[in-house]
Amino acid sequence: MKQLPQEFYATMEQLQAVDFVLVELTLYLDTHPDDYEAINQFNQFAKERKRLKKVIESTYGPLQQYGNSYSGYPWNWNDGPWPWQL
Amino acid sequence: MSTHRRVWYPYASPFDPCPPITAKTYSTPPNLFLGFQPPNLEQFTPMQALRTGTLWKVFYDPWYSPYEAPRDGDHI
Repeated sequence: MKQLPQEFYATMEQLQAVDFVLVELTLYLDTHPDDYEAINQFNQFAKERKRLKKVIESTYGPLQQYGNSYSGYPWNWNDGPWPWQL
Repeated sequence: MSTHRRVWYPYASPFDPCPPITAKTYSTPPNLFLGFQPPNLEQFTPMQALRTGTLWKVFYDPWYSPYEAPRDGDHI
């Protein structure tokens, strides 16, 4: 089974860090709806996540399904490794 | 290092079968003292936030047991 290069794990970790920040900010903003800086930060990180997702998916295939990710050719969303196999 | 612990001293009866535990500690995480979170708190970097488990530095609590020495990998 093909081994994934090291930078794949590095970029996935960055994606995980950005996701965590987004989760924290979402929970924070639920109780602080009018915090302007936090909303700015949230939008910046959302944009950053889209960029990271594009970078990862352009080389390693779709991360999610049902239209959340573009598909490669041939239909490859069920190729390994799965998230729990990383 | 972590000041998030408080101690209380249970009563030890002379008729206790086992040697008494004189001091008992309990964890008091920072969120107990903060109440409603003020805006614009100082934050960790994303990677640090992932490691420490919180985005805001003030909420960081490694939650060590009293018998556990703090490891060097922590971000304070």
